[in-house]
Amino acid sequence: MNVNKVKGAKRKLDALDCLLIVLAALPIVACMVLKVLTNPASDGINISGPLIYFTIPTPIQPLYVTESQINSLAVILSVLFLCIFLTRGLKTRPDSTRQIVAEWIVEKTESLVKSNMGTYFSSFPPFIAAILALSALSSLLTLVGLFPPTSDLNVVAGWAILVFILITYYKMKCGPLHYIKEMASPVVMTPMNVISEIATPISMSFRHYGNVLSGSVVSALVGTALQGLSLSIFGGLPGPFGSFPYFRIGIPAVLSLYFDIFSGCIQAFIFAMLTMLYIANGFPEELYFKRKQKKNNKNDLIKSEVN
Amino acid sequence: MQTQEIINVNIWLILISLCNLVILFLILKKFLFKPVKKVLAERQAEYDAKFAEADGKLAEAEAVKAELDAKFASADDEAERILKDAKDNAERRGVAIVTEAKDKADLIVKNAESEAELRRRKAEESIKDDIADVSVEIAEKIIGREVTERDHRRLVDEFINKMGDEE
Repeated sequence: MNVNKVKGAKRKLDALDCLLIVLAALPIVACMVLKVLTNPASDGINISGPLIYFTIPTPIQPLYVTESQINSLAVILSVLFLCIFLTRGLKTRPDSTRQIVAEWIVEKTESLVKSNMGTYFSSFPPFIAAILALSALSSLLTLVGLFPPTSDLNVVAGWAILVFILITYYKMKCGPLHYIKEMASPVVMTPMNVISEIATPISMSFRHYGNVLSGSVVSALVGTALQGLSLSIFGGLPGPFGSFPYFRIGIPAVLSLYFDIFSGCIQAFIFAMLTMLYIANGFPEELYFKRKQKKNNKNDLIKSEVN
Repeated sequence: MQTQEIINVNIWLILISLCNLVILFLILKKFLFKPVKKVLAERQAEYDAKFAEADGKLAEAEAVKAELDAKFASADDEAERILKDAKDNAERRGVAIVTEAKDKADLIVKNAESEAELRRRKAEESIKDDIADVSVEIAEKIIGREVTERDHRRLVDEFINKMGDEE
C-alpha cells in the first residue's frame, strides 16, 4: 500500500511550495515597499484618492496608473500563487491541510451559489469566489497599511458593471423582446423600471466603495483626534516625549478591527450575495425552460419529418 | 506626488477593474476549481467503486448466510431424527432386557420351587422313617417282645401313608 496513506504522515513542504508561498507574499510586500518609497509621511488629516504613479495619455480620458491598480494586481497575483500552492499535489485521499482548505473553499462556494441561485448556475461558483476574494482581500490590504482598491470608485464600479452585464444577459435569455416587454409591463412604470435597472450597478458600487472609504475616513479622523488629545495632555513634557502621540497606540486598533476586518469581509459578502440574487432573480427560469422544451419538441418534429 | 480625486470616474480604470475581475475569475476557475473538482470527482468515483464492491461482498455474505442457515435447519432435523431413533432403540432394548430378566427370574423361582418341593419330599421321607422307628420302639416296649422290625415297619408305613393320603 501507499506509504502516504498512513495516518499522520503529513506531506512536508518542498522547495517549490516554499517558493510559491514567497511568491504569494511578494506582491503585497512589493506594494508596501512602493508605498513606503513614494508616500511622504504626513501629519494631520489627509484624505485623498489613490496616488497616481504615472499617466498614459489615451483618448477620451487619460489612463492613470494608480495605487489601486497596482494593489489590485498584487491581490490577483497573490491569489494566483496561493491557488497554485493550494492545489499542488492533490490526492483522492487528502494528506495535507492545504488540500482540505482548497476543498473547503470550493465546496463552500458551491453550496452558497447552489442555495442562492439554484442548480442552473453551476458555472458561477468561480465567479462568486473571485468577487469574494478580490473584494475581501482588497479591503484587507488596509491591515498592512496599503491603499485598499475597494475605496476607489472606479474599481468597484468595474465589478458592478460586469455584474450588470451579467444580469442583463440572463434577463435577455428569453430574447430581447421578452426583456423589453418585462421592462414595460405596466407601460406607466417604464421609466421607473429603466431607472431601477440602471440604479442597480450604481447602488452596488457606491455601497461597497462608500463603506470602505468611510472606514478609512473615520479611522483617519479618530487617529488625528487622538493625536491632538495626546498632544494637549502630554504636550508639556520635554522634547520628543511631548510630541509622541501616546493615544494612537492600541486604541485605533479597535476601530480597525471593525472597519478593516469586519466591514471589509461583510461588504465582500454583501456584494457577492447581491450579485447572486440579482442574477438569479433576473433570470426567468420557468419561461426559459418552457421555451427550451418547446424548441426541442419542434426540433424533434422537424427531424422526424425529415426522416 | 499627485493623487486622484476621492470621487472620480475614469472609464479606463473601470474597464481595467472589470478585466481584473474576469482575470481573477479565470484564474480561480483554472487553478482552484478545476483541479479540486477533478479530485473530488475522482474520490467520488473511488468511493462509488468501493461501495459497489462492498455491496457485492455483502450480497455474497448474505448468500453464504442463507446457505448456512439452510444447512443448520437440516442439521437440526437430522439431529432430531437421530435422537428419536436412539430413543426408540433404547426403549425397545429396555423392554427386551426387562422381559429377559423376567423370564430369568421366573426360571429361578421355578427352580427354587422345585428344589423346595424336593427338599420337602426328602424331609417327609426322613420324618416317616423317624416316626416308624419311634413307633416300633414304643410298640416293643408296650408289647414286651421283639416285633419283627421289618413287619412292623411295613405296617407303620402303610398307616402313615394312609394318614398322609387322608390328610
